[in-house]
Amino acid sequence: MTPKLFHIFRNTPLGRETLLQSLYFCRSIGCLPEIYIPESTRFLMYFENDVTQVDLDGSYLTAPSTSRGHAEALVLESGLKATYLTPKNYTAHGLPDIPTHYDYMCCPRSISDLSSKIGLGHIGPRVRRIVQAARFPVLITSPVFKAWNSITIFFGGSQNALNALRLGLRIARQSGKPLNMFTQIEKGDAETYRKAVADADLLSDWERYGAEWQFFEKGSLEENLYAVAHDALLVLGAYGHGLIKDIMFGSKMERIQSTLPNNLLIAGPKYTAVKG
Amino acid sequence: MKLWRYPANWHLFRYDDRLLLICMAVVVGICAGLAAIALNRALVSVLGLLHHYRHLWWAFIMPAAGAALSSLFLEKIVNEGAGHGVPEVIYSVSRYGGLIRLRSSFSRLISSCLTIGSGGSAGPEAPVVMSGSAIGSNIARLFNLNDRQRVTLVGCGTAGAIGAIFNAPIAGMVFTMEVILGEWSAVNIIPIAIAAVTGTKVSRLLQGNNIAFSHREFQIALGDIAACVGLAICCAAVSIILTRSLRGMSRRVAVLRLPLWLKAAMGGAIVGLIGIGLPDVLGEGYHTIQHAITGDFRAGLLVATTVLAMKIVATAFTLGWGGSGGIFAPSLFIGSFVGLAYQRALTHLWPTVGWVEEGCFALLGMAGIISGILQAPLTGIFLIVEITGGYDVIVPLTIVAAVSSTACQYVEPASFYLKDLVDKGQLLRPGTDARVLADIRMGELLETDCIPVSPGMRLGEFIPILERSHRNLFPVEDGKNGRFLGIVHLDDVRPYLFKTPLYDAVVLGQLMQTQVETVGPDDDLIDVLDKMDALKKFSLPVVANQRFVGMISKATLLDRYRRELMVQTRTT
Repeated sequence: MTPKLFHIFRNTPLGRETLLQSLYFCRSIGCLPEIYIPESTRFLMYFENDVTQVDLDGSYLTAPSTSRGHAEALVLESGLKATYLTPKNYTAHGLPDIPTHYDYMCCPRSISDLSSKIGLGHIGPRVRRIVQAARFPVLITSPVFKAWNSITIFFGGSQNALNALRLGLRIARQSGKPLNMFTQIEKGDAETYRKAVADADLLSDWERYGAEWQFFEKGSLEENLYAVAHDALLVLGAYGHGLIKDIMFGSKMERIQSTLPNNLLIAGPKYTAVKG
Repeated sequence: MKLWRYPANWHLFRYDDRLLLICMAVVVGICAGLAAIALNRALVSVLGLLHHYRHLWWAFIMPAAGAALSSLFLEKIVNEGAGHGVPEVIYSVSRYGGLIRLRSSFSRLISSCLTIGSGGSAGPEAPVVMSGSAIGSNIARLFNLNDRQRVTLVGCGTAGAIGAIFNAPIAGMVFTMEVILGEWSAVNIIPIAIAAVTGTKVSRLLQGNNIAFSHREFQIALGDIAACVGLAICCAAVSIILTRSLRGMSRRVAVLRLPLWLKAAMGGAIVGLIGIGLPDVLGEGYHTIQHAITGDFRAGLLVATTVLAMKIVATAFTLGWGGSGGIFAPSLFIGSFVGLAYQRALTHLWPTVGWVEEGCFALLGMAGIISGILQAPLTGIFLIVEITGGYDVIVPLTIVAAVSSTACQYVEPASFYLKDLVDKGQLLRPGTDARVLADIRMGELLETDCIPVSPGMRLGEFIPILERSHRNLFPVEDGKNGRFLGIVHLDDVRPYLFKTPLYDAVVLGQLMQTQVETVGPDDDLIDVLDKMDALKKFSLPVVANQRFVGMISKATLLDRYRRELMVQTRTT
């Protein structure tokens, strides 16, 4: 079946940019958008071992009478065929259950906090929770629609990074766009990272689809991020460490997302990568 | 992988998880017991604090303020809907393997404390059930337990909470199995019993071994037992009135375009006004129940009936308008007054008969209403036995509970907790058809080995495709845009198979069936199966966005159904 991307439509100019980004992503990799036009500011997502209540900010309910029309106009312009989700099940009155069987989901950086909607800000707690619990990767869009012309994978050698590499290879295959890899060397040398890729049986795929693998031994991560193309889709694994370690030292994903305004495709720890 | 987060993988528990569940049940029972005690203590404090102001003229505002604050807390702070929460627990158990939000472990405790403490007519038991269940669910989530184990811990939370709040472990266990889980399985019953006992023990340690309603000896004669049938019918009638009042009130209030807190405040104010004339109807009402049991409620039949009717009205206004709390305590209150009024009516009608004391009928009435409204007779029986500390009324209790729940079922096939879920088709009890089908996804059943053909294909071109295909159905797709146009069935082709001159004259567009019933990939399998039965079809094409994605057949579905049933009914 054609893969599906789940998008929650916000009937505002910011929501329009986000939907444009989702539609571009769908067109690039050949998946279909499923759009949810919320009727209340909260819904539940039941994952395999977690339930997340998403509390949307009030702007998602702006001018409900025009929401569907606005979304349909953007979909029509993109030439895609979208489906519109109508929740079937409700945990309580006004609290619909949203399915979680999608292949991708699109989120702005925060869906419950208006204050960080324009600036890069931080990734909101609900989006984090979705990333941590979901089996699908989450597309976190740039504030303004921007076409991406290449893919850059952030590879740090961990299991999550390998999942991100698998995901990046899949996106590269489906979209036909050039694939690059970025590694900030923290332990060993470049060979250590190559070996990790080889051990995961991904080296031949990388050699086939990959264009350039940049290694950075010197300088901080933030300094080196300038080397990432401005029009690249960033693919990275997230939340590989425990909560305490992330709080103490900061998550690498947070540092990347707060420095680069690019679109991000994040594979969480539960993401089940399609091999090959 | 952090080993402590995955105890099911420990060598000790890997092959048999019963010991793991017992250990977890103790933890969940303690936490649920503490939650129940926290609510109990908080309620006592709030009731004590506001007691001095109850006689003042403006006291009717207190239930309004409490209900409004409760609603604001649920809506604005924890972002949860109102209601007592038990249907949410049942829904989560039946559909999502017992996944419940962490915030539910404390939200209803606070909101119900505000509602009941201020005088709202509701009970603390359902919020405690919600809290205990959420605790069990989140402990299971923390330790990465599977769905079956999580459901057991949700049950443990419920049993621990009910056991602690009523000091009634057996009632906690029975309520869990009868109402929350809807199944009696050997795997569940031991951890749930342990959690119920643990929760009760925690309560006894911190609050003392107090029986909720002090026990009295009753001399029950044969005539009293015969009279129980009449009481059971009365209880069933009142249960139905209570159920319909609560649901009807909620439906009517839902259409009012007012802020939720304002609705709750309005409902609370009406309850406060009722409370000026009849203070007995305010709060959970255990004190008044005690009076009914001990025979200290001196007012006559008319007053007793009025109190009973007003309690129903007050409960409907409290819960229907957005207050937070459960129906357990109001049901006990109403039941005790049904019994009391019934006994007084019997005494008026047959003054020469030596009827048993009205306290006994009050107890029987409590069991009758609990059994009727929850349609859970065992819960009614064991709850009354445990909270009164005596088994001497077990025979009439059983009669009243059984007759009341059966009579209710005739009129209202689903209990108060299950009615909404049944109406929406969301109640998936273990071992039922709907439950098995709910756990199978359409994607698992899709048969994608059909060879698509185009409407312009000549019969001669189709013959080689027919030769290599294992199927007798061929989806016809538009060659340009891939749109699904119809189906060519082998039977449609068979008349032409041996007429070779027609091979170049006939195209599949002439043979295909265009009026084809299809299903979507997101359709519920129970609907798909119903559709197959209605159309007398053994397979249907699955179409998404006007494109053919595969076939779904009854044979594959039933094969997968059988395997899923085996998984769901496996004991360990």
